[in-house]
Amino acid sequence: MSKKNDERFIITIKSNTKDLFAFTKLVPQRKKRIENASVEPITSDPINDIARKLHPERQYLKIHEIKEETKSTRTFKLVPDPDSMTKELAYFRPGQYLSLKVKVNGVEITRPYSLASSPKDALHGLYELTIRREEEGFLTHYIWDHWKVGTKVKSSGPEGFFYYEPLRDLKNIVGIAGGSGITPFRSIAKAIIEGFIDAKLTLLYGSSEEDDIIYYKEFKELERNYPDKFKVVYILSCDEITLEGCEHGFITANIIEKYCDVKNSSFFICGPQVMYDFVEKEMEKFKLPHKRIRREAFGEIKDVINLPEFPKDLAEKSFKVKVHVGNLMKEIPALSTESILIAMERANLAPPSKCRSGECGFCRSLLISGNIYVSPFSDWRRAADKKFNYFHPCASYPITNLEIKVPRHL
Amino acid sequence: MNTQEKEQVISDTYDVVVIGAGNGGLAAATQLALTGKKIILFEQHNLPGGFASSFVRGRFEFETSLHEFASIGPPSNKGRVRKLFEDRFGLDVEFIAVPEAYRLILTDPTEKLDVTMPFGVENFIEAIEKLVPGSRDSVTKLFDIAKEIRDSFGYFNATKGNPDQGVLMKEYPNFLKTAAYSTKEVEDALNMPEDACKILNAYWSYLGLPIDRVNFTIFASMVLVYMEYGAYILKKRSHEYTTAFDVKIRELGGNIEYNTRVEKILVENGKVVGVETSRGDKIKTNHVICNASPTLTYNKLIYPKSEVPEIAYKEVNARIHGLTGFCVYLGLDATAEELGLKEYSYFIMKNMNTEEIYDSWSKLQSPGGQASVVLNVPNPECSPPGTCIIYITTLFRPEVWKEIKPEQYVGIKNKIAEELIIQFEQATGAPIREHIEEIEVATPVTYARFTRTYNGIIYGYEPESWDSIVPRLMMMGQDKYIKGLEFAGGFGRRAHGYGSTISDGYTSALLTLQELFKEGEGK
Repeated sequence: MSKKNDERFIITIKSNTKDLFAFTKLVPQRKKRIENASVEPITSDPINDIARKLHPERQYLKIHEIKEETKSTRTFKLVPDPDSMTKELAYFRPGQYLSLKVKVNGVEITRPYSLASSPKDALHGLYELTIRREEEGFLTHYIWDHWKVGTKVKSSGPEGFFYYEPLRDLKNIVGIAGGSGITPFRSIAKAIIEGFIDAKLTLLYGSSEEDDIIYYKEFKELERNYPDKFKVVYILSCDEITLEGCEHGFITANIIEKYCDVKNSSFFICGPQVMYDFVEKEMEKFKLPHKRIRREAFGEIKDVINLPEFPKDLAEKSFKVKVHVGNLMKEIPALSTESILIAMERANLAPPSKCRSGECGFCRSLLISGNIYVSPFSDWRRAADKKFNYFHPCASYPITNLEIKVPRHL
Repeated sequence: MNTQEKEQVISDTYDVVVIGAGNGGLAAATQLALTGKKIILFEQHNLPGGFASSFVRGRFEFETSLHEFASIGPPSNKGRVRKLFEDRFGLDVEFIAVPEAYRLILTDPTEKLDVTMPFGVENFIEAIEKLVPGSRDSVTKLFDIAKEIRDSFGYFNATKGNPDQGVLMKEYPNFLKTAAYSTKEVEDALNMPEDACKILNAYWSYLGLPIDRVNFTIFASMVLVYMEYGAYILKKRSHEYTTAFDVKIRELGGNIEYNTRVEKILVENGKVVGVETSRGDKIKTNHVICNASPTLTYNKLIYPKSEVPEIAYKEVNARIHGLTGFCVYLGLDATAEELGLKEYSYFIMKNMNTEEIYDSWSKLQSPGGQASVVLNVPNPECSPPGTCIIYITTLFRPEVWKEIKPEQYVGIKNKIAEELIIQFEQATGAPIREHIEEIEVATPVTYARFTRTYNGIIYGYEPESWDSIVPRLMMMGQDKYIKGLEFAGGFGRRAHGYGSTISDGYTSALLTLQELFKEGEGK
């Protein structure tokens, strides 16, 4: 070793010779360690196993029982389809929903339904979904006509963020529900009573008719048995009321104040769009911080024409949408007042979707050309997606002809 | 499957199939598309990026995993990755510089330390000398060696991992002398004062193995690159550059299919011949760049299994699988200023006994250390006025999580999240709990769910000296067991980290292009 080199050394770990020798041994040492290692393949991946249990991409279910709740609502009790890969049901957080995938007249569509049963039921292989038959909902009509005991139903894993979070929420939960928006609160109520959530639930439940009230008897009994944990106030908008202890009218600020400790509660709202519009306006009076009010995504927008800045002159106009999906390219018609997702479903393209509210981003697609309208109330696009023209078809409406690239369904 | 779904299926021939749109896959696909190769990139998630992504909750858009991008540098002094992004790939992205290197807070009563360190080699040396008088010489030497290491990598790349020992000896003698040692061994040899070591070693959790095990070469070059080029984040979260990659790949004629998992890499007589996907696509190709780990690839993807040589299983089993992560994302209804948080990046550790902290991550208990960032400090527009985004990150050995039952999951993750929040509040004095508007907690299970990474691991193989970047680079080519298969990503040659994985993907593309060129010549 020349002296010149020695001068360039500014560090010695063991000795010059040993340090340099150690370097020359790096590769042989690595080779040796590899050579001496086991040849056994790795067959287990426990963390992915847990991930699949908690978040299965798909669950294959079967209707075990159907309960008539009211003249227009049914509760479907679902169990794992014994002929499928689904052996157990994914656990969930009360308030979450399932996205069902249903084939109606050969066309596959999805719908989100809140889980109405408790997480504990899921551990025993049972989910319950309470579904209201809607006047204009072609899916619910199909369900009424076709879903019997034994019918097989395809579902996603549990989805959504409408749940009690102890690190954020206060122990007084106020649930404000309209119509079939009551279903997630049944799950939350059961979870509280079963000890899965340490909180108290006060429900303000608005219905238009007495016989539209879902779970009436069940809730009465829960109230009687667990008065410190659960209370329901029924608010009826119809003129004739025979039930005792109901409020008449709508869920106003006065009613909320009458039954709740407004400043010390976390509010959870779930119901139709009109109820959000009304209740949120009422609640503005309380000047509560954002964190005290959670709202469930309300599903598809019903009257896009009346939303701010929707180009009204284009209402009911039909456009052409050139859709690329996988290797397929197809031109389909699409109405300005219907979401691009619906147009694709109608054309039987089976696009991906889950929440149908703009929130989850599962339908995220690329807008290659053309213009869309996005409701400011349903715009959960990522900032960079806006920059690079990615959009959520479930909450977007065509206002010119479009060309889009859509991922295939999972 | 209905008729139209069948028509969606792709069956075609491609020059190269890239599996996974993580950092490595995106960089590789872009480079290949740039050279006009016919490529397709498959990603099982519906987004690009892998761990480099973002998600929206309420009024907030959270960064999924990036703390600090190294190798970016200011436009006047572009780092390796900025050069790739801007000059080679032409990506449309906006970087924001992080103001300070880090604030290190040690919380054990006997170890109390709270220091904020600047970027810039000179500034850093000055600051550490002020805090620990008498440390200047040793710290300066460490940086001098680090610079030599940095320069030697250029030579390694130029010789494709076959360096001439004489040249190494002449040009990079101090690199040679330290390459086989751990960071601790080198710091001891430099007689670096203990408190100076504590401060200098703050970045250790980014590599995720204790100072007495992490190889000096990789550690020193990481610290140097942060000091020389600073650290950066994206204006619109990591989703900005990953989507910019997506846009660029398509613009260059490449194809990307999301929601599509490659289930089989078809191999015949030791050569890649195609891939099959979860959607029923059957693709013919002789080249695959795989962003999945060798662990997953050899044990799960190669088909038939008889094509996996014994040596491949041995290699995977010899290496030490790295850590998985845990992250609490907080959208707060108070500003960073109101909370008294002036710095972006916080390392909050009980102490700098890195073995002890690493051990704390080997049990399902309160973690001994966290790395946390306040996104609004460098990027005030990242959330609405009156709010801010903080995320608290820690690490775990994956085995710790394997016995968890679904019904225990939320309780356990919330308990750990709460402990991390309390640690942060106690260390910084910022009352964050009462301001939580949105909270999300990612666990090893979450990382597995979205990326299917083996055991939820977010770091690659641990770079102990025997398996650090130098022996990996010197064995490049020798550890290639299946013709036509290259790896890219956090389990690759340069180990994990955003800058490393992007560079690695780029290298994998160059190696594949070379193969394609040779094949072309053969014809």
